[in-house]
Amino acid sequence: MLGGLGVSRESLISGLMLAAIVAVAALVTGFAFGANGERIATLFLIYLCAVLSISVFTGGSGITSFGHAAFMGIGAYVSGILTMPKALQVSALPQLPAFLAGHETGIVVAVLAVAAAGLIAGLITGVPVARLGGSSASIATLALLIIIHVILNGAREITRGSQTFYGVPRLTTLLTALIFAMAFILIARLFRDTGPGLRLRATRENDVAAQACGVSLFQVRYIGWILSAMLGALAGALYGHFLGAFSPKDFYFDLTFLLIAMLIVGGMLTVTGAIVGTALITAVIQILRLAEGGIDLGFVHIPVIFGLTQLGLGMALLLTIWRRPLGIVGLQELGPKLKALVATAPAETPAKPASSDKSLSVASLSKRFGGLQACDDLSFTIARGKVTGLIGPNGAGKTTLVNLICGQLKPDRGTVMIDGENMVGRAPHLIAKAGLGRTFQAIKLFDRMTVLENVTVAALTIESNLSAARKAAETLLARLDLAREAQRLAGTLAYGERRRLEIARALALKPRYLLLDEPAAGMNPVETEALKSMLDRIRHDFDLGLLVIEHDMHLIMRLCDHIVVINKGQKIAEGAPAAIRRDPKVIEAYIGAAPETEISPSTPSTGGVKNETAIGIA
Amino acid sequence: MEFFIQQLVNAISLGGIYALLALGLAVVFSIVGLINFAHGELMTVAGYGLFFAIGVSLGLPIAIVVAIFAAVAMALLIERVAFRPMRRADVTGLLLTSFAVSVILRVLFQNGISARGMPVPMPSALAGSIDLGFAHIGVIPLLSIVATAVSLGGLLLFLKHTVVGTAMRAAAQDFAVVRLMGIPANRVVAVAFAVSGVLAGVAAFLWVAQRGSVDPLMGFVPVLKAFVAAIIGGLGGLAGAVAGGFVLGFLEVACQAFLPAAILPYRDAFVLGIVILILVLRPEGLIPAQTGKRS
Repeated sequence: MLGGLGVSRESLISGLMLAAIVAVAALVTGFAFGANGERIATLFLIYLCAVLSISVFTGGSGITSFGHAAFMGIGAYVSGILTMPKALQVSALPQLPAFLAGHETGIVVAVLAVAAAGLIAGLITGVPVARLGGSSASIATLALLIIIHVILNGAREITRGSQTFYGVPRLTTLLTALIFAMAFILIARLFRDTGPGLRLRATRENDVAAQACGVSLFQVRYIGWILSAMLGALAGALYGHFLGAFSPKDFYFDLTFLLIAMLIVGGMLTVTGAIVGTALITAVIQILRLAEGGIDLGFVHIPVIFGLTQLGLGMALLLTIWRRPLGIVGLQELGPKLKALVATAPAETPAKPASSDKSLSVASLSKRFGGLQACDDLSFTIARGKVTGLIGPNGAGKTTLVNLICGQLKPDRGTVMIDGENMVGRAPHLIAKAGLGRTFQAIKLFDRMTVLENVTVAALTIESNLSAARKAAETLLARLDLAREAQRLAGTLAYGERRRLEIARALALKPRYLLLDEPAAGMNPVETEALKSMLDRIRHDFDLGLLVIEHDMHLIMRLCDHIVVINKGQKIAEGAPAAIRRDPKVIEAYIGAAPETEISPSTPSTGGVKNETAIGIA
Repeated sequence: MEFFIQQLVNAISLGGIYALLALGLAVVFSIVGLINFAHGELMTVAGYGLFFAIGVSLGLPIAIVVAIFAAVAMALLIERVAFRPMRRADVTGLLLTSFAVSVILRVLFQNGISARGMPVPMPSALAGSIDLGFAHIGVIPLLSIVATAVSLGGLLLFLKHTVVGTAMRAAAQDFAVVRLMGIPANRVVAVAFAVSGVLAGVAAFLWVAQRGSVDPLMGFVPVLKAFVAAIIGGLGGLAGAVAGGFVLGFLEVACQAFLPAAILPYRDAFVLGIVILILVLRPEGLIPAQTGKRS
């Protein structure tokens, strides 16, 4: 089954290591310190399950969920009602609807029912959360917490309202909690490295870039949310059977605050972090609980402080955010070191015959922002197998045009056709999937993911499974001379490598057309020359149409077969480089000078300054 | 008819309180990207200010001034101690910071003052109602509406006609540029917190006037609502926050007045369900905040 998911051996080993460490720690605590030790170890394992359920979504998506305590509540009540002895139920819940009454099921049925309840809750609540994203989604989860709390309080016939719900069999022993915790650790750890897990992490790092790699933000967030809601409900059932008696306020802000503190202190980006944070905070709470009653140290007497644990949690949270925003663990999961790829010589692929009859064509594309006509009736064609250049002074509308083509913006009018199919109105990730790769003017990588993961995310869009995607990504990295960096975090690469990685990632979509938004920006002449030879290689090796947006005239004149010039949203010229260079309208737009000037291809590159000075006067 | 007018007045007065609080949240958020959960504790501090000032019989007008000063002082204090060191954290980091600050302050109130509610006696004139001929309207709802209008008007004048106010409006669009213009960032941020303190102080007075007591958890519920209001309106926009506050007030009063008794316990669930629906349809809120960012 794991093979089918394509999860690597390293992830599995890492998961097993984490589970083993937790098991040893919990068993030692549980048996070495008597009944109290057993209670603390059990509680730790339950909290761990709860924190891991949040971590699956929050660690993946970067959206802090405040709503999971409510899922725990749902799980606790569902399991409580199902497993409650019949006689007790009659007196505790006399008005219970008939379909819920008198089941007195075993634990297996209850677990299945709780998982189903979590699934349903996740399916419903996931729609707004996955649609919103970012801090709005975080806030929506907070609203969910309140809504579910209100419902638990209001449904008196089922939950006894705000009164204590009692008579729940205490089924959660150290051993059951341990079995659940080990399963949760494995699920959470492996999920990170599955296809959906990888893509979810990509949306956390950069949502626009993730879309450009063909990732549906909604889909991956929704999957993560549903899984995490199910785990949350199960953790709640475990907690309910530990408490035996509880009320809705046990699944409200205090629990949320506790779980979030555990997640943040340990580090929300890793499973290792969730474990470390839960262990640490559980220990701190036990110590503070002892101190809460007042301590007599002989020479000084610390008075009773009401809410000392809350105070401690608050301080721990503040200290973490202030000093170590990524938590104690940070980015690195505990596990075997990943091997860097051996740089294999790229397999020489013969140049494919250019499918020159196909094209990406833009027709009468228009977009207005308030009083500014950013694109005005633009039409041109990018031929497959050719390099098309798009130039224009700053503010000409180039970036707007790219965003219109890629679906980040919707045009007011006009069409974008890829090989005869209209793309207008399609979501950016669908356009990416249809064969349009892009890079960004300001590089957008998934900084806290490895180089290999960056490319794999895009490859997943067209490959059928994770192993195929990883293989495709490895091949691409080798071809773009990035294989040695495969296991480094993308955020640690040098500038030139970052540009190259972005191009590699776009190529992993096997695009039919590739849009490069100022690929040479910020490069010195040597780096620009390397870029040019790489682009020449790409046009030779891959059967695609290139659109290059650049300010570097030297580069654009030598690279392109065809150039489109726009200014103030309108196309002012189009043609072969030689013709463009002499076009009086182009010269005027750039320097506003007399028509005897000419844009010279021999002008040196500006070496990183993004301006129009790369135009010489012949 | 009278019922309808009374409900309308209730909706405006409740919405007004939410609007004041949401505005306080929005002023701070627009400038530092912080959703200040501890805003509720500013209300609580103002409530205690009111309690102590009335306790030493300073008279209501002076007590209100004391309350507002208390909230402003607390706002400036938490800005300096807790939020300034965290300026580089992201939105969620800041939100969690304020969450922690809020919890810590609550524990301090519980231990330093009292875990129980303290009665705040209000002048009996506030308890009555006024006969407008066509309807009897409570003094406190009317007072709320007036106080809200005065506060909103005052804030508008401040933002439009003072240098700091203008800097704040500019900072809400693009803080980096404002700093480049040579305006001291810390002062703009401090003023934003002070303004949020004033608004919390006014709201606290109106809240306490209706309930007659103050306790450590007093600010929690109204600020939770205000927070929802700020989101509906479009987080970071000042006009949006006011609109969101009134929308929420109207929704709550309408649900309270018109929902059948059987589902009345679920009122808040209904209101928040509608809120989520609004968010799903308009993720940027009713009046999206204007920012100078481009892709």
